[in-house]
Amino acid sequence: MTDVRCPENTELEVLHQLFASATHDASAAMCRWTDGLITLTLDEVREIELEHVCTELNLGDELLTMVVLSLEGDIGGEMILTFDDRNGRQLVASLLRRPLVEEPEWTELEKSALTETGNILGCAYMNALTRLIDHELIPSAPYFIQDYGASVLQQALMAQAMNFDKVLICRTAFHREGEELNWRVLFVPTEAMRKAMEAALHSAP
Amino acid sequence: MASCTACETTGNVNVCMGQIAMAKGPASLSAVLGSCLGVTLHHSRTKWGILAHVVLPKATGEALLPGKFADIAIPHMLELLKERGAPPSSLVAKIVGGACMFGAGGPIQIGENNIRIAKQILADTGVRIAAEDLRGNSGRRISFDCGTGLITVETIGKTPRTL
Repeated sequence: MTDVRCPENTELEVLHQLFASATHDASAAMCRWTDGLITLTLDEVREIELEHVCTELNLGDELLTMVVLSLEGDIGGEMILTFDDRNGRQLVASLLRRPLVEEPEWTELEKSALTETGNILGCAYMNALTRLIDHELIPSAPYFIQDYGASVLQQALMAQAMNFDKVLICRTAFHREGEELNWRVLFVPTEAMRKAMEAALHSAP
Repeated sequence: MASCTACETTGNVNVCMGQIAMAKGPASLSAVLGSCLGVTLHHSRTKWGILAHVVLPKATGEALLPGKFADIAIPHMLELLKERGAPPSSLVAKIVGGACMFGAGGPIQIGENNIRIAKQILADTGVRIAAEDLRGNSGRRISFDCGTGLITVETIGKTPRTL
């Protein structure tokens, strides 16, 4: 796992602390959901130049299975849970307690299992953020999507791209029995959310 | 405005968000597009092609990335081709993308705004739009052949189409 924190950058440092705490809560929720199988750790919180973001996150023209959860309102953002197809199917197989199925189409039951995973993770993050910034967050229903990773990330980045040429991204890694999986949670906060998080951390005792 | 340049390239180059790349046939330019818009201009005689990966419709301040905003990217592309002997009246434009990736609805319809502004600027500058593949809620992978001006558009679950 790489941790690309920049110690000189206080702003990123405080955001890293915040997300480490939220990731801890999300990991506990995920551990319960998967009977102790899956845990999470915060991989990185970093600013990336817009033109390099897909390359840096290794999101290109690979087909990914994703669950998107939007936090609506000014103080909001997008949370994207990404898997390659095989990893998504492995998760579904373990959740449904059945052998791995590798059909081209996802059934409604499989989509539902994955969407619920996104919901559990998203709510865990949201509860932690709500406690920290003392602001009610309004989540959308989770949205199942299979597409090019870069094309989905583009839309999530729009709110930040309106004002900046660099975007802030928080990335979480998943582990099964200590082994890193090809799953990720990307959180792309709006500018207002980012300011709210920073303000909350600076005012903390 | 700060530096606003495009890269001139050979071979097959992936054009990332906010970038503009220009190449001469038989080189090709590619991009993955969601709500972003791919704007291509082609000059058939010189075989120069240029692709902008447009993120947003209009700049509100300084633009460091040449292709980020449609209202800055398209005039810049026209200028670059003019310097290579290809005036706007001899160019053919094609536009692809502008999807709404998270389903319909929501107050900010970036894809739709990108399409509207790009079309308006191309019309104002006298560039003909020869083909388009727009909207929907799926991503697109495009490959622009600068030799022929043809664009191959791939969408998950669909047969690739050529514009």
